[in-house]
Amino acid sequence: MSTQPGAQTPTPPGAASGTGSASTATPVLDIADFSVAYRTAGGDVHAVDHVNLALHPGEVIGLAGESGSGKSTLAYGACRLLRPPAVIRGGSVRYQGRRFPRPVEVLEQDPEGLRALRWREIAIVFQSAMNALNPVLNVRTQLLDVIEEHLRLSKEEAVERVNSLIDLVSIPRSRLKSYPHELSGGMRQRVMIAMALATDPEIVIMDEPTTALDVVVQRDILAQIVELKKQLGFAILFITHDLSLLLELADRVAVMYAGRLVEVGTARQIHHESAHPYTKGLLNSFPSLRGPRRELAGIPGSPPDLRNLPPGCPFLARCAYGTEACREIDMDLAPVASASDPRHVTACPFVLPETPLPAGGVGRRDAVAAGAPAREERRDPAAGIPIAGLAAPGTAGPVGTTGPLPVGPKANGVHPAPGVGPLGVPHDVATDQGAEQ
Amino acid sequence: MDQSTSTFGLAPVSDAAPLSSPAAARGPLVMEAVSLSKNFRIDRHTVLSAVREASFNLYRSAVVALVGESGSGKSTVAKLLAGQEQASSGTIRLDGRVVDVRGRRAFRRYKSEVQYVFQDPFASLNPVHTVRYHLERPTRLHQARRGEALQTELVALMEQVRLTPAEPFLAKYPHELSGGQRQRVAVARALAARPSVLLADEPVSMLDVSIRLELLNVLDELRRQLQLAVLYITHDIASARYFADEVLVMYAGDIVERGPAEEVTQQPAHPYTQLLVSSAPDPDDLGSVLHHGKEKGAQGGVEGAASIAACRFHPRCPFATEQCRTKRPPLLRIGPSRAAACWRLDAAAPAVVAGARERGDEVRET
Repeated sequence: MSTQPGAQTPTPPGAASGTGSASTATPVLDIADFSVAYRTAGGDVHAVDHVNLALHPGEVIGLAGESGSGKSTLAYGACRLLRPPAVIRGGSVRYQGRRFPRPVEVLEQDPEGLRALRWREIAIVFQSAMNALNPVLNVRTQLLDVIEEHLRLSKEEAVERVNSLIDLVSIPRSRLKSYPHELSGGMRQRVMIAMALATDPEIVIMDEPTTALDVVVQRDILAQIVELKKQLGFAILFITHDLSLLLELADRVAVMYAGRLVEVGTARQIHHESAHPYTKGLLNSFPSLRGPRRELAGIPGSPPDLRNLPPGCPFLARCAYGTEACREIDMDLAPVASASDPRHVTACPFVLPETPLPAGGVGRRDAVAAGAPAREERRDPAAGIPIAGLAAPGTAGPVGTTGPLPVGPKANGVHPAPGVGPLGVPHDVATDQGAEQ
Repeated sequence: MDQSTSTFGLAPVSDAAPLSSPAAARGPLVMEAVSLSKNFRIDRHTVLSAVREASFNLYRSAVVALVGESGSGKSTVAKLLAGQEQASSGTIRLDGRVVDVRGRRAFRRYKSEVQYVFQDPFASLNPVHTVRYHLERPTRLHQARRGEALQTELVALMEQVRLTPAEPFLAKYPHELSGGQRQRVAVARALAARPSVLLADEPVSMLDVSIRLELLNVLDELRRQLQLAVLYITHDIASARYFADEVLVMYAGDIVERGPAEEVTQQPAHPYTQLLVSSAPDPDDLGSVLHHGKEKGAQGGVEGAASIAACRFHPRCPFATEQCRTKRPPLLRIGPSRAAACWRLDAAAPAVVAGARERGDEVRET
C-alpha cells in the first residue's frame, strides 16, 4: 500500500480492528485521492472529490450517505463502469488479490485488462434486481451466461456450478427455470447475489441490495450475505443510505457527504463516538425500535449543489455547529482528537464525539423554512418520552445551553484548523441554538 | 365459543365487546371499517382473499399505523377506504354514514373527505406539469376557488408542507425537486381537497432516511393543525412506534395484532409481530446478523401463506401446532385496547397473557 504522505487513509498495517476482519493484510482495493466529475453545461459536478478508502480482504465496509452524496459514483467509478459525461479526474485505484499478487492500477487498464477484473475479481449486486436481470431469459440461462463468459469450464461443470450457486442462496433448483417476473423481490435479489458470486470474486460491491425489500426479507438476505462471506471470504463494499443497517453489518463505516468522506471508523465508533456533525445527524434520523424513545431531529435541508461548492465544509449550510471558521477548513480526514484509535477519522476539526448535540438536533431549522411554529408536546405524560423533535420548547433535549463544550482538537495540535482562535467557536453557536429553542 | 380451553381464559373480540382504540383519545370518530374483506379472483378455481374481515376506526387528530410486509394486504385496505376498490364484503362508514361511491358525484364528494398519498413521489406527479398545476386542479375542483382566493390557498398549502417561499416552488416542475420536496407536493395536493382523512401509503419508504423524519414531522404537524385522521401504511414498524397512536399488524390479509403503538412494539405478542420487530435493524445489537444467523424457519415472503381455514402464519411460525393448521384463530383480547390472533399466545408471549389474565375481569367488561 502506498498511500502518499498527507493522504487521509490512516489504516496503518498492524492495527487490529475492533470488530472485524480488517487485518494486517494489504488492501484488496486501495482507492487513493480519487475524484470523479460529471460534465454538464452548467459546469462540472464534483460527485466524488479526493476520496481515500482501503478495503481489506474479507472486510465489510459500509458506505453511507444521502442520495446524491456520490457513494454509487465512487463504487462504479472505481470499477471504471461510468460513462460520459462522467470523467475520472484523478487519483488511483489499486487492486490486489489471490489471482493478482502484484497490485494492478485499475485506472490504467485497457478494455482487455478490465474484462479480467470485472466480475471475475470485482462483482456488483445492483439495487434494482428487476431491472438488472434480463426479463426474457430464465435464471439458469443467465447464470450459465456469466459462468461461460468468465470461467473456463466444461458444460457439465458449468451446470454443476449453477446448481451449487442456487443452493448457496437457498433457492430451490426448480426455480432455475423461472423468469425474473415469476420470482418474489427477495428471490430476485438472491439470484443477483448468486450471479455476483458465480466467479468467486474477491470483492462484491452491493449497491443498496435490500432497499426495495421489507424488513423480514431484508434480514434474511443480510444473514445470507454474512453467511456466504464467512464461507467464501470475499470483501464487501456495502452502499446504503440506511446507517442503522450498516452499524449492524459492517466492520467499518465510511460516511459520505457531497462527494467527500466525512468520517470513517468502526461500526462501534460511528455508533457510539460519532464525531462528524453529519454522522451525528444521520444517527439521530432513524427511529429506534428498542430502548427508550429518543428525541429525533433529522437533518433539515438538502445537500449542496455540487457544481459550485462553497469553500470549506459542504455541510456548513445545514450544520447547527457551524461557524465562520468552517469556511476555511480543507475537509481532510484526520484522527478524532479524543479517540484512542487513530483510524477513527473525521473531516470536522471542531466537533468531537463528546460534543453535545445542540438542542433541536444537528440540523439547522432555518435550513428548511424560517419560523416553523413551535411544536407541541406530542405524547401525554403517561406515554412517556416525547417524539421526534416535537418536544415543547425548552423541555426535553440534550443540553446545549450550559457548560463549556470540549475544546476542539486544535488545542492539542492534532488537527490544526486554519484561522481559528483558541476556544472553538462552536461553543457560542451551540449556546445560541440552545437559547433559540 | 368453545375455545375456552384453548384460548387460555382470554375473551375473543366480538361486536358485542369491541376493543377500545388508543387513538380514540385524540379526537372524534371519523371513519369506520367494519369487517372489510376483499377477494381477487385469479382464475376460475382460485380466489385470493387479500383482506379478511378487517375492522378498525380512524379518529381525528390521530394516527393509526397499518404495518406488514409486501403482499400482506395493507395497500388493498387503503384502496378500499379510498373508494378505488369495491369491498367484497363489509362496510365503510364516514361520519356515521355508510359509504357508497357509485356515481361520479358521490365519488367526488367522498374524495373531498378522504385523500390518498402514494408511495412513489417520482411516479405520482405528472412530469410535464408544474407544482402549481398539481395543486390548482384539486383546489378548484373541491373548493371551487378562483382568482385571488385560489392564489392565497395555494400559498397556504405550500406553507403547510413547509415548501417556502411558495412562489418559486409553485413554478417548478417535478424534476427540479428532490424526493422529499416532491412528496411534500404530493401531501399538499392531498390537502387541497381539505380532507378529514388522509391515507398515506408508505409515504416515506422511497425517501432517504435523513429526509424521512422531516416528512413524518410535517405529517404530524398537519395531523394536529388540521385535525386529520391519518392511516399510516408502512413496513417499518420502528417509524410506526414514533408516529402512530395505534398499530395494526397485518399478515396475509389478516389483522393479527393490534394495540397501542408502544405496547405492540415493545411487547409484541403475536409471533409474526415478534418476527417483524426482531428483523428491524438494531444498531445496539452490533453484529447480530453475524451472530444469530438465520431465524429458525422464519423465511421472508407471504408466498407460503396457508389455506383459508388456518392461521396463515403457521408455515413460518416456530410455535405452530395442529390446531394452527386447521383452525383460524380469533382476535383475543390481551388488554383494554389490545388483541392478538394466535392459538399459541401462551407460548409466544407468556408475559402478555399473564398480564391480561391478571386484569381479566376488567378486560372482559370494557
